[in-house]
Amino acid sequence: MREFNVLVVDDEQEFREITVKRLEKRGLKVKSAESGEKALEILEHSYTDVVLLDVKMPGLDGIETLRRIRNMKPLVEVVLLTGHASVDSGIEGMKLGAFDYLMKPIELEPLLEKLADANEKKRLHQEKIEQAQIKRNMSKPA
Amino acid sequence: MEINNYNRAWRRLTGAFCLLITVPVTILVLVTASSLKEAAIEKVEVSLGRLIEHKKDVITLFLEEKEDLLTMMVGMYPVTYLGRQENLNDLFIAVNTAGSIVDLHVIDSSGKQLAYVGPYAQSLIDKNYQDAAWFQDVLINGSHVSDVFLGFRNVPHFVVAVSDPLKTYVLRATVNSEQFNNLLLSTQIGPHGDSFIVNSEGTLQTPSRAGLTELNNEDRLLLEHHEGTTIIKREESIVATRWVKDGQWCLIVKALVEDSLAPFYKVRNDIIFVIFVTSAVFLTIAVLFAKYFLQRIEKEARNKAELGHQMVQMEKMATVGRLAAGIAHEINNPLQMITSQAGWIAELLPEEEPGKVKNLDEYTKAVEQIRHHVRRAGVITHRLLGFSRKISVEKQNVQLNDLIEETISFVEKEAGYNNVSIIRNYAEALPVTAIDGPQLQQVFLNLINNAIDEIGQGGIIEIRTALEGNTKLIVEFADNGHGIKPENLKRIFDPFFTTKDPGKGTGLGLYISYDIVKKLGGTISVANRNSGGAVFTIVLPIMSLG
Repeated sequence: MREFNVLVVDDEQEFREITVKRLEKRGLKVKSAESGEKALEILEHSYTDVVLLDVKMPGLDGIETLRRIRNMKPLVEVVLLTGHASVDSGIEGMKLGAFDYLMKPIELEPLLEKLADANEKKRLHQEKIEQAQIKRNMSKPA
Repeated sequence: MEINNYNRAWRRLTGAFCLLITVPVTILVLVTASSLKEAAIEKVEVSLGRLIEHKKDVITLFLEEKEDLLTMMVGMYPVTYLGRQENLNDLFIAVNTAGSIVDLHVIDSSGKQLAYVGPYAQSLIDKNYQDAAWFQDVLINGSHVSDVFLGFRNVPHFVVAVSDPLKTYVLRATVNSEQFNNLLLSTQIGPHGDSFIVNSEGTLQTPSRAGLTELNNEDRLLLEHHEGTTIIKREESIVATRWVKDGQWCLIVKALVEDSLAPFYKVRNDIIFVIFVTSAVFLTIAVLFAKYFLQRIEKEARNKAELGHQMVQMEKMATVGRLAAGIAHEINNPLQMITSQAGWIAELLPEEEPGKVKNLDEYTKAVEQIRHHVRRAGVITHRLLGFSRKISVEKQNVQLNDLIEETISFVEKEAGYNNVSIIRNYAEALPVTAIDGPQLQQVFLNLINNAIDEIGQGGIIEIRTALEGNTKLIVEFADNGHGIKPENLKRIFDPFFTTKDPGKGTGLGLYISYDIVKKLGGTISVANRNSGGAVFTIVLPIMSLG
C-alpha cells in the first residue's frame, strides 16, 4: 500500500488513539485533531492527503469543517465518519464534496480501503493538475 | 357502541321532531275543530232565530188575514143578508179563491145555524152551537181562533169566527188545516229537524215532521210563556220557541246539531286531512333530515377519528424514530470502540510467540466472535438509522409497474419454492414519477417477503396498482394469509415489533419501509381484508423531475 498522510478528526480521545495506532501500524502517516478548529490549523501547517472527519462534534461540526477544508485545501479528500447518521446529513456531506460517508461501527479493513481510495483519487487529481501545468510550461516559449 | 349512540340520537331526534310537529298540529286541529263547531252551531242558532221569527210573521199574517176577511164581511153585510143561504153561497165563491176556507157558517146569537156553505152541509144542518166554548168566546170577545180539532167531520181543522159589532150573529170559517200545515213545510233545518205548533196544553196543532204525536217531558218544559224567541241548546239539538196568536199557540222548531254539522264535518275532515298530509310530509322530511344529518355527523366523526388515529400514528412513529436514532447513535460509538480494540488485539496477537501464549487460538476465536457480534449489532443500528440504504442523491423517473416487476424477479425463486403465486393487477399506462427507485424497491421487497413468509405453501399474493386523481399512485400488496390481529395493527410499523419466531425477524422491515415511504412523501397503511389476509396500501405522490 502506498504511504499517505491521514488526519483523524474526532472529539473522542480513545477513538483517536486507537485509530491512529492501527493506521500507523498499517504504514500510514497519521495525525489527529480533537476539533474542527484544530483540524483546520493542522491542515494549514502540515501536508495531508485524506481527512477522516467525524460529523458530530462540539464546536465546529463536521459539515462546517468540511466546507472550510474544501475552501482551504480543495485537493484534500475528506471521508465522513459518524455514529449518528441520517441519510440527509450523508447527502449534504456528499454534496459538499466529501469522498464518502461511513458509519460507525466500521472495521479497519473497509476503512483503510476507503481511505486508500480517497488518496488514490486525490493522487490522480493531483497528477492531472501537474500534467496540465507541464503542458502549460511546455507551451511557453523558453 | 358508537353506532348505538348514533341510533339512539337518531331515535331521540326523530321523536323530538315528531313531538314538535304532532303536538302543535293536534292542538291546532282540536282548536280549529272546536271553533269551527261553535261557529257552525252559532250559525244554526242565528238561522233558527231568523226562521222562527219569519214563520211567526207568516202564521200571524195568515190568521189575521182570515180574521180580517171575516170581520170585513160581518161589517159589510147584516145578518138578514148573510142569513140567507144563496147570499152566503155567492160570498163563499167570491172570497174563497185561494181555497183556504173549507166552509162558512152563519149562526145567530142564540146558536142556531142560519146558513151554511161547504162540503158537510148534510151532517151539520140544524146544529146548535149555543153551548160551544168557542161560540161563547166569540160573543164575548168578538173573535175566536180555535185550536185544531177533529170536530164532527173527523178531519183536523180549526175555525176562525167573528161576530158583528152588535153581536147579532156569528160568521164562522173553517180553515183548511192542510194549507195551514203547508206554511210550516219550509220551516225545517236539516233532514232530521222538526217543526210544529202546540197549544198551551201541549197538544200538537200541526203534525210533527219527526212523527211525534204528543210532547215528551223534556219538550213540555218549553211551554213556558215568554216574549220573543227563545233558543235552547240541548245535547243533541237546538230548539227555538216562539209564542204566537197571543200566547195561545207555541211554534217550536228543532234542529238536530248533527244535521247542521254536516258542512262542518266536511270542512273539519278536509282540514284534518290537509293537516295530516302536511304533517306526514313534514315528519318524513324531518326524519329523513335527521337521518341525513346524523349520517353526516357520524361520517365526519369517523373521518376525524381516522385522521386523529393517523396523526397519532405519525407522531408515534416520529417519536419512535427519533428514539431509535438516538439509541443507535449512542450505541454506535461504543460499538466502534469495541470493534477497534478487538481488531487491535487481533492484529497484535500473531506477533506473540505461540509457545508463550497458552490459549492463543482461544483468544483469536474470542476476538473474532466479538467482531462478529459487533457487526451484527452494527447491522441493526445501521438499518435503524437508514444508513444501510443506498443513498442515491438523484431521483429518477420510475414506472411503478416496471419497478414492481423487477422486484418480483428477485423473489420469484423463493415464491416458487413456497408454491406462492403472485397475481399482477396493474393499472395500464401509469404515469412515471420522480422517486428514489432503489429505496422504493426495498419497501416492495420487504412487503413481498413478509407476505411470502406469512402465507406459506400455496398462498396467493395480489399486487395492484392504480392511479388516484392524477396526482397519486397507489400500490396494494394483498395476501390471503391469516391477517393481522387487531391489537397488532397499531404496532405493526413499530421498530423491533415482530410476530415471527425469535431470531427469524428483526422487526425492522416494516419500520424501515414506513420510514422510506414517509421520506418519499407518501403514506403506507395496513388493513385486514374482509376475505381474509392483510393488505398493505402505499400511496405515492406523482412528481416530476426538477
